[in-house]
Amino acid sequence: MSNSETMVDTAPAPATPESEVKVAAGAHLTLVERLIMPTILIVVLFGLPWFHPGYRLLSLATSTGVSAIALYGLAILVGQAGIMSVGHAALMGVGAYTGAILSRDLGMNLWTALPFAAIFSALAAGLVGLPSLRVGGHHFVIITFAFCGLLAIVLTNGGAFTGAASGLDIGAIAPLFGVSFGKLQNVYLLVAFFVLASIALTWLVMVSRYGRTLRSIRENEKLASALGIDVRFHKIVAFMLSGAFAGVAGILQVYFLQHISPELFGAFPSVYIALMVMLGGPRMLYGPLAGALIVTFLPEVLNLDPIDARIAYGIGLIAVILLLPGGVMAGLASLYRTLRSKVARA
Amino acid sequence: MKFWQFCAIAGSALFAASAQPAAADDDTIKIGVVAAQTGAFVSAGNTIGAGVTLAVKEINDAGGVKIGGKSRKIQLENRDDRTDVNVAIAAGRELVNDIGVAALYGTESHDFSVSMTKITGPAKVLQFTGNSSLGAILTKESVAPGAPLHYTFQSEPPEFQRSGSTARGVLKLLGKEIGAPLKNAVVFVADDATGQYLSEHYVKALEANGQHVDLIKYPPNTTDFTPLLTRAKGLNPDTVHFWYNGDVTLVAFPQAVQLKVAKGYFLFGVDPGVWADRKLVSTAPVTLSCVPMCWGAPPTPEAKAYFDRYFAAGAVKGVQSSVSLLYYDYMHWYAKAIEESGSTDPDTVVAQIEKMKYQGVVSKAPLYFDNRHRVSFATEVCLVKPNTSDQFECAVEEPPTEPPAGDNGG
Repeated sequence: MSNSETMVDTAPAPATPESEVKVAAGAHLTLVERLIMPTILIVVLFGLPWFHPGYRLLSLATSTGVSAIALYGLAILVGQAGIMSVGHAALMGVGAYTGAILSRDLGMNLWTALPFAAIFSALAAGLVGLPSLRVGGHHFVIITFAFCGLLAIVLTNGGAFTGAASGLDIGAIAPLFGVSFGKLQNVYLLVAFFVLASIALTWLVMVSRYGRTLRSIRENEKLASALGIDVRFHKIVAFMLSGAFAGVAGILQVYFLQHISPELFGAFPSVYIALMVMLGGPRMLYGPLAGALIVTFLPEVLNLDPIDARIAYGIGLIAVILLLPGGVMAGLASLYRTLRSKVARA
Repeated sequence: MKFWQFCAIAGSALFAASAQPAAADDDTIKIGVVAAQTGAFVSAGNTIGAGVTLAVKEINDAGGVKIGGKSRKIQLENRDDRTDVNVAIAAGRELVNDIGVAALYGTESHDFSVSMTKITGPAKVLQFTGNSSLGAILTKESVAPGAPLHYTFQSEPPEFQRSGSTARGVLKLLGKEIGAPLKNAVVFVADDATGQYLSEHYVKALEANGQHVDLIKYPPNTTDFTPLLTRAKGLNPDTVHFWYNGDVTLVAFPQAVQLKVAKGYFLFGVDPGVWADRKLVSTAPVTLSCVPMCWGAPPTPEAKAYFDRYFAAGAVKGVQSSVSLLYYDYMHWYAKAIEESGSTDPDTVVAQIEKMKYQGVVSKAPLYFDNRHRVSFATEVCLVKPNTSDQFECAVEEPPTEPPAGDNGG
């Protein structure tokens, strides 16, 4: 280990946005350490079906993956731009209903409808963001929550166009390049690919100039504005980018369940999405994935009663806010750095 | 070989071996239940598992299902969907693809059931599911051989029949108790998938029985009903009809009585047994209905004997316990279809069920599935005498054979 690396370990850099992103993206680590997580992730993500986990676990892993895609979008918004939204399930709903309606009315399949789902969700986010991002903080949170409730009402009372409260049915995923998606294993691998793509895109945002711009807005809006950054424009773009992730997650969800209804995209799922991001760690690259695993996968694997699980989440969220304000992954990263520095000193 | 390499290979091999499906046992017929045993739908979900479990126990105690001189026991696999569609689908995939069940009972929710049919249909697994809202997708074409819903059976009657039978019973009992002609009705219903679907038919059924009907929908998760009930009172109704969730109805109803919204009330899905157990009292006449029969006032000795056995087996006395009877009957029906056809082949069993008339506990007349895989039976309605907790007068009105004008039948 070089001297400079040791210095970083023993004397952590001040919590500026720049140093923080290095920690979040793993830039303070050695090359080998930096490669460990992505390697494990790729092996586990794409190797899971070959371990014969059974249809139950594979199905749960698929739905967890779908949630994770939406979470990465929200993580860009919350973690990088510092804007909290509790209406993200509604943006997933826009993507899901776009896919279902385009399939029913124009005969489009997942592959042709996918860009439209992302675009429509991004536009919906832009429409909500345009007037509401003039206000900040909790006002914006309330507006996104209201959007969620409004969309549920519109979908429930949308008559034959939205399928009303009964929702809409959709066919299976069309084959692509000769690959059939009749098998759950292939659907899982498809979702895994999108999860990986979401992580890669999030990483690109984090290490890019655009990411730095968002973080400067997050840290001090007035200062960023004084430096010539168009704060409102970038906030809306971040919200639209986040919406595009949600749109992709939404259309994947509808093709996975092959049936959707407004209840899937109401206020409660939205709060859960926000909870997952906060638990996992919105500023950490693997935080959203950890949040999705904790909330959607773990209770089922541990066979927790849903009521007990909700109580546990409530307590867990309070504990995370008090003890690990950066989320579980930030806590784990901090623990790893501490252990590594102790080992280095020894 | 290094130690960690050995551990990795051994661990992988162990994991892979443990994840292999169990070898098929020819001496058993595997049956699955996917229903909420926890979460918001637990009242409805519990009844599915409990009804099927009792039937399976009785079949197995009697020696099992007899096919060609050989008896096969039923192996029941119960799964909790935790009132979560993703868990329901995961459980369904496990039962269908990992365990290889021949039939599946559940779920309690329209959305979950529809998603489940996408799993059971291609695997040729029979699915018995309760939601009458499935009538919207069960058509002659969709249940035909080779069609996607050929293996799906709706265990409740078409909604125009249930609504018709219920409306007749309610108006008969309330009219007699109030002693004046009933003209104006308000239907008070949850604005969700089931509520929208049910009210559409119940409103037509009331209109077909000479009522002027106003429909008021309340958002799901409402707890303070007073603003909407005040609006209902302004419509001067003779009767207010609460549909469809018994648990929510018991929250809304006391608020309505306090506001004196109407002369009489109807509470869908609240069993007289629950009314008596909770020692509820109403100053106004109130009618209750159950699907298909009330455990608090069973109309036949067979139904009473069933509910005695059901509760003796440890089932919970709840607002929807009566629904268990449907799943109990359909489990026996399915076993009988296998015995009569002499095969467990799904196509053969479906063909047998389609031509059978089954005399169960649910109905005095034998049950049969129509050409859209739906059954027909009456609904029991009971009047609670004002200011009493355990004085009931019940009626079982036969359902109409044809839907009323303007009703597509469901």
